Amino acid sequence: MADDKKPVKLPRTAKGKKPIYFDSTTDKLLSMVLTLMGELSVMRDRLDTVERLAEKKGVFKLDDIENYELTEEVNKIRGERRAAYIARVLKSVQDELDALQQQGDGMNVEITQ
Amino acid sequence: MIPQTMHSIFAKPNHDEASRQNFVNDFRVHLASKVFPGNFPAYFGRVLPAFIKAQGREPKDRHEVRKVMTKDPYYQLWSAMQRNSQEMIWDSVIDAVERQLPDLLKKAKDLKGKGSLTLNPNVEVPKYHNAADIHLQPGAYHTDVAPDDLSAGAIYDRGTYIYSMGGLGAENDGLGRILQKFFHKQYPDKKIERVLDMGCTIGGSVSFWSTKEPGTEFHAIDVGAPCLRYGHARAKAVGANVHFSQQNAEKTNFLDASFDVVTSHILLHETSRQAIQNIFKECYRLLKPGGVMMHLDLPQAFGQNPLEGFLWEWEIYNNNEHFYGQLRELDTADVATKAGFDPAKFKIHQVASTWDDGQTPYSNENFTFPVYVAVK
Repeated sequence: MADDKKPVKLPRTAKGKKPIYFDSTTDKLLSMVLTLMGELSVMRDRLDTVERLAEKKGVFKLDDIENYELTEEVNKIRGERRAAYIARVLKSVQDELDALQQQGDGMNVEITQ
Repeated sequence: MIPQTMHSIFAKPNHDEASRQNFVNDFRVHLASKVFPGNFPAYFGRVLPAFIKAQGREPKDRHEVRKVMTKDPYYQLWSAMQRNSQEMIWDSVIDAVERQLPDLLKKAKDLKGKGSLTLNPNVEVPKYHNAADIHLQPGAYHTDVAPDDLSAGAIYDRGTYIYSMGGLGAENDGLGRILQKFFHKQYPDKKIERVLDMGCTIGGSVSFWSTKEPGTEFHAIDVGAPCLRYGHARAKAVGANVHFSQQNAEKTNFLDASFDVVTSHILLHETSRQAIQNIFKECYRLLKPGGVMMHLDLPQAFGQNPLEGFLWEWEIYNNNEHFYGQLRELDTADVATKAGFDPAKFKIHQVASTWDDGQTPYSNENFTFPVYVAVK
């Protein structure tokens, strides 16, 4: 959409006290594992779609995948996708960082990106 | 999961979004069918014997079960995964809504159809609603993030469908189907001209009623503006004729004795003890003589054994359902009497959770919803 305005970002974390199940770190690790489970499932579905379409349309053979050479442009696209992926998996760490920064009690952390 | 009907205002997921949503659903089905049942052998096999050994008796209520069961490693793991699955629902749904928001806003604006929408920015979101985000939906039902925002409603429409694992039917309106069927079975000869649905969120239930009974005037209220905007658009998209307005069910601007039926679908457990009293009182004021109040809600604690009672209350402590607790033991007959209803005309019906085509939420035909019914 040709729009100068920044796209709207919806809130991603629910307001309210989060229970502790094991301990803070273990809880985060569990979140990461479950998110990874989900993302791997999404990826497998997508690959399955690609393979089936390729076969159906006779676009390429599976051997072509094995012999694929990465260009700089594709590498950049993949890098951005990986960054978003990592952020999704590590969301529980980001949540804690956000909470720490909001406390404003001298524990603020400067982030440089 | 049976496919959800994608009406024209639905935030249709793309390939990966759909895949992510399907994963969350399948994960939750696995948790419900393969992991949750393990809480029973964990309790009866080790938690209960340890309690008896230490105390010389069984736990007397669900609160005592909570103290010991929440320390059991099996329960902890199930509970932690269940919590995560709830957070994953919203994350998977928000992707699709965020990506398409400008398009959804435009579609909602252009959509032709019946009904109306009256917003009132002066309506205060009550504390029981904004103290925490109910069901962990980020921003809950009332947060506007854009002008004329409807994202909370779009997220709710898909998120509740995944939450119920498709259990509320392809149109995600099963609660409306249950209550509409119950009403006509209970009162086959009652003529209804005007109906009010309180705490309607996106109006799924009331829109179903409206499509079935086009000769009746339907009103629906909620405090959440983005849900009402989406609800109005959704109603138009499914061919319903509903008048939505932003109002608190505790005190509305409708005239005395102006409705034949006042309903709510799982509203009460999201409000406070005082709010329920006020809502019943408001229902009494709004009903015509002979009019019917019907509130469908989640089960109370009465008749549940201590373990069952404890497990039902998982949502209170882990899914921001803080106000369900006060409904669990509430004497609703007393509330109705104090609101003005004749105690002889108040009854709690246990209504089977099936509708005409045999569908049922949670694939459990023995599951019943309490419906608090009073006739003025």
